[in-house]
Amino acid sequence: MFELQNFTGMRSNRENTDCGISKNMPGLQNPTGTHSCRESTNCSISKNMLELRNISKSYGRFQALKSVNLTISPGEIHGLVGVNGSGKSTLLNILSGQRVIRDTGGFKGELLFENADRKFADPGQALGAGIGMVHQEFALIPGLSVADNICLSNEKTFSWSQKLFGDDLACINHQANRNTASAILGHMGIDLSPDLMAGDLSVAMKQFVELAREFNRDHLKLLLLDEPTAVLGNRDARCLMTAVKEIAAKGVAVLYVSHRLEEVVSCCDSMTVLRNGAVVDCIRPKQPGQNQDSQNQIKTLSNLMVGKKVKKTRRSQVNQVNQVNRVNKIKMIRFSSFSVEKPGDRLDSLDLDIFQGEILGVTSLSGHGRTALGAGIMGLYPAKGAVRLKGQPIRSFDPLQMIKKNIWMLPEDRRSEGLLLGHSIMENMTFAAIQTRKKFVRKSVIPFVRFPDQKKCRAYADAAREALDIDCRSIYQNVGELSGGNQQKVCIANALAMAPELLFVNDPTRGIDIAAREFILSQLLKAQSHHGMTLVISSGELDELKRICDRIAVLYQGRLFDVLTPDQSEKEYLLACSGIRPEEAV
Amino acid sequence: MKRFGVQIPQVFIIVFLALMVVLALGLDIPMNWIISDALVRLVMNGVLVLSLVPMLKAGIGINFGLPVGIIAGLLGLCISVNFRMKGLWGLSAGMLFSVPVAIVLGYGYGAILNRVKGKEEITATFVGFSFIPLMNFFWAIAPFSNPSMLWPIGGKGMRPVIGLKSYFAKALNHLWMVEVMGVKIPVGLLLFFAVLCLLLVVFFRTNFGRAMTAVGENEQFARLSGINVTRVRTWAIILSTLIAALGICVYAQSYGFIELYDAPLMMAFPAASAILVGGSMGRHTHIVHVVIGTFLFQTTYLISGPIANEMMLPEVAEIFRLMITNGIILYALLYEGGKTS
Repeated sequence: MFELQNFTGMRSNRENTDCGISKNMPGLQNPTGTHSCRESTNCSISKNMLELRNISKSYGRFQALKSVNLTISPGEIHGLVGVNGSGKSTLLNILSGQRVIRDTGGFKGELLFENADRKFADPGQALGAGIGMVHQEFALIPGLSVADNICLSNEKTFSWSQKLFGDDLACINHQANRNTASAILGHMGIDLSPDLMAGDLSVAMKQFVELAREFNRDHLKLLLLDEPTAVLGNRDARCLMTAVKEIAAKGVAVLYVSHRLEEVVSCCDSMTVLRNGAVVDCIRPKQPGQNQDSQNQIKTLSNLMVGKKVKKTRRSQVNQVNQVNRVNKIKMIRFSSFSVEKPGDRLDSLDLDIFQGEILGVTSLSGHGRTALGAGIMGLYPAKGAVRLKGQPIRSFDPLQMIKKNIWMLPEDRRSEGLLLGHSIMENMTFAAIQTRKKFVRKSVIPFVRFPDQKKCRAYADAAREALDIDCRSIYQNVGELSGGNQQKVCIANALAMAPELLFVNDPTRGIDIAAREFILSQLLKAQSHHGMTLVISSGELDELKRICDRIAVLYQGRLFDVLTPDQSEKEYLLACSGIRPEEAV
Repeated sequence: MKRFGVQIPQVFIIVFLALMVVLALGLDIPMNWIISDALVRLVMNGVLVLSLVPMLKAGIGINFGLPVGIIAGLLGLCISVNFRMKGLWGLSAGMLFSVPVAIVLGYGYGAILNRVKGKEEITATFVGFSFIPLMNFFWAIAPFSNPSMLWPIGGKGMRPVIGLKSYFAKALNHLWMVEVMGVKIPVGLLLFFAVLCLLLVVFFRTNFGRAMTAVGENEQFARLSGINVTRVRTWAIILSTLIAALGICVYAQSYGFIELYDAPLMMAFPAASAILVGGSMGRHTHIVHVVIGTFLFQTTYLISGPIANEMMLPEVAEIFRLMITNGIILYALLYEGGKTS
């Protein structure tokens, strides 16, 4: 999907990585797995801008980084890839001196920046040393103009006032700042007025302003980019990458974190793959005598990231066709001008029909409303508009009302909304069914006093543990001790006990490793085919939605942009997510 | 040990108590008297401490508004005394009269606390503080007719302290009293406390009790599971108020007096200290915490008095008590705050 510029081909400096990673992968045998990287850079050690030696970091008992080694030389764009929870963010936090690192006990190992051992106690020190960072969540001040944001903490001041009052109280020269800002923006090829408020900008523009702010630093030596293109459309992403390449050409070292592998492959000079906190491999594709196409490169990277081959869940074609035939018969739920005021993710006058027995995907970039639908129906946020369930109007949006109508939602934030972390697996699986369905409840002679039927609860929990393959010591173990994937399975068991007809699922695979993801997707499919549930799955993972959904609704800025079918191309999806019609793009 | 959450307050108070016992033995203070008094004090204060449990479990926090429940109980007792009811019947009637009062007051108290989610503890403290003067006004004009409750001169308005000697003082204390090796064991009183604890344990195993625990642990989860969070919280507050009303009935019969006016003002603090000493940490509260905490805390109170009298000025005992009570609450608040930040 991206133009592959100044890039002829690449190959890993390992021989067996392109055929998928088997268990005898070197990275697995050697927990640090880094020697290849260091070997290849031995010659340039004195010229390194940044060198990490055996960096380890643990949060309590959880080890986030295990002796990570990494080197970046001036002018190099170094890609850092890894699945969620592989330690990328922790590494960036260490490099940019975030306080959370020191508050949780600091890190072990050496951080050599310009050949001097450094430990940054706060972001100010890192900034002073010449390390700039572009954050995934925007670190812009919404009430200040673009120019003020770009020049923040680097403002041009009137020299007389500086002499008179000192640096801190000097008067700011707004005109000079405006000129600087527009010069930088112009240089990056962005048409943006420096007088606009940062809060009014679109997400893509905010990202560029962040980048411009870092470019504006006089002594920038190392630039950290955390998922810089996650919120950008294709064209903007390419524009950003060009800007990054330009700054690298001036001798700035760049650490580029992204999970869009195509981008990493096309723009980075070298790449480090993290898995479970350890460096699995370090790839320098532009070494002489290595020729392979970029697709293979991407495949190698993704295999390295995951560590083993994963069988991808996919709906059988026959099933899907049947589904489509069945679908057109009964309308399950109909939304007309349905709006949800979810802060930061609002949904605006949605008109949509969902048919019985179908799997509808809902996708958008984050912040464009994909998680608001389920939350609005369940009454977590103020919602208005007309909703008809099987022709019957729904008047109030309230969890109990919805449960009575056989609607259930799996929330996106399992830990804060979906589970009782201090309670056992069994109690979590049966809680809602006991409370609202009077399932697993013993008959009682005394009115109003009802006890849960432990035997039935245990039987259900055991069966669910077996069926969902939950990895735990026993069903009495606290849910808080389980991994994300297993927690999600417990949530699913809780939902299955409710036997809903319509199930809203928000980000079912968020923060879950790839193997468990596929299992969870297959379980959702099973719920649909065996229990005849209608599923509405909202997720940012396009690839997953395309594999399991009948139709996928794409939202843009809170409004329904288009409803696409799974066999439409990735490109069409990305265009729709960025709010561009295919005919406009040509 | 870890299961009951042994923390610094427990260690501190156990060491303090051990020191006291050694001192008491050295000073020839009679131990059988101390033990039988400790058992009485366990129940006398234990029921009040128990009343904190429902609100803690429902995530509302420590019931610093304990005076609300206490006033309900006092009103019930006053009605019983007004009808000149005697013995166990008088006490039971007092408890019975206080139930509807506690439910009504608890409902109103709950309505207030449900409006200030997240700031319940400080609000509860001031509900308690502001309710007392309101009731002072009521006590001054209350239409009771038993002269032993009213001011001797003028015959109008309640006395600050009403003696229960001719009504039901020690009615429950003396029920089935057994003496073993010079130690008087108030079996009836202990049984009453045990039954109350058991009922509460059973309550938290019912569906509704579980819903209450769930609301305390994760309100959003409970709401999504179709639970009416406001209703559950209101019931937790009513339950706390109700048990507090029963608690003051037990307390008053044991003490031998009904204390009106400003007496309930500070009663929440020793109760809160006791449950924290027991190892309760917010939602993770068990009945065991109540029993252990009350026993340790009250026994320290009890034993420090005679020792201080022997060794130092009598006022020192009171100073130590206040230091312990408020120090423990401060520690618990700091600990809780440190955990969340």
